[in-house]
Amino acid sequence: MKPEKAKLVVDGLKEAGVDFTAGVPDAQFIQVYKMLEADPDIRYVGTANEAEAVGVGFGAWFGGKKPALMLATSGLLVATYHLARINILHEVPLLVVIPYRGDIGDPRWMGLYKKTTEPGLNAMDIPYRVVSRSSEIVRTIKECNESARAWLRCIAVILNEEALW
Amino acid sequence: MVTRLALIKELASIVPENVVVVSSIGNNSAFWGELAEREANLFHATLGMCTPAAFGLAMALPRRKVIALDSDGNLILNLGVLGTIANENPTNLTILVMDNGNYLGSHKKEPGMPTATGGKMQLREVAKGCGIESAHRVQDVGAFREKIQMALKSDGPHFISAQIEAIDLDRPGRTKRVPDPRENKYQFAKYIERTEGVQILGGGLGNFG
Repeated sequence: MKPEKAKLVVDGLKEAGVDFTAGVPDAQFIQVYKMLEADPDIRYVGTANEAEAVGVGFGAWFGGKKPALMLATSGLLVATYHLARINILHEVPLLVVIPYRGDIGDPRWMGLYKKTTEPGLNAMDIPYRVVSRSSEIVRTIKECNESARAWLRCIAVILNEEALW
Repeated sequence: MVTRLALIKELASIVPENVVVVSSIGNNSAFWGELAEREANLFHATLGMCTPAAFGLAMALPRRKVIALDSDGNLILNLGVLGTIANENPTNLTILVMDNGNYLGSHKKEPGMPTATGGKMQLREVAKGCGIESAHRVQDVGAFREKIQMALKSDGPHFISAQIEAIDLDRPGRTKRVPDPRENKYQFAKYIERTEGVQILGGGLGNFG
């Protein structure tokens, strides 16, 4: 991932007012995690698994933070129970940012995640946008977070190969 | 051995009104809601979410004491959070684990299937191994009171594992209705907004800054 693309993701989080992030580092998004960890305006908490990150973000929201989760497509599967719980039962909003491994065009053997990512979000009743152009990263993250907080719903931004690499 | 009810009664008599308590699902939330009707309660944290949620709150509200009223089966589902907490070092967080050594014993007349702590696992040693220096195990009301008071007065993070009876032999009466997760969300968020000067809930008019 090129640093300028990672910066667009961080810029989008800042435009959205996100000040707290949690997740587990992912190879395709590692530049984003490193930038977040170094950024004085956004608190990054590295968790042991993605379900833990959901719990941490849930608590941070109740403390007045504007949290986002940084989840790999594999990590979304780990987080599923807790995400479904907070989205459907508690109706607590977390922005979920996902680098889209396995979308059509990904040359790696990651087709598993084409089968699980969007159907999984639909099953959890989490609306999402897929971003294919880097020029749309900042605006989409901002819009998704605004709606999440207004609707008290989790909303996901999925950034695919074309947008990120 | 002591019962959950005896310890939660003691906790209710000690904890100041402004200390946030995040309680796990089941009888921790049911007993706490019955015995401690207060605004600073966040109930119904499901398996693996109680301590992470309390940790997130502690990070967001560093000037306020936060207690996770957790249980053994609930904590074990996301045990890695203890390592995260040790490294992040939220000094205002106390993790209190009601350890009955089994799953669902609180709702039965006989103990349920054992958790790992019903076997060889020792949570105090796990917490210490994760790097939480102030890690303790208590087995009676007196030691419990002493450790809670210590945790409320001093910097943490603190970890207190309370070994309790396998089943809840005694229960409080049901005189109060514990709010459901959405009702509790609005109550608790409004309380935090009022006392911390932050905006959490929206007005539906796009008025977030």
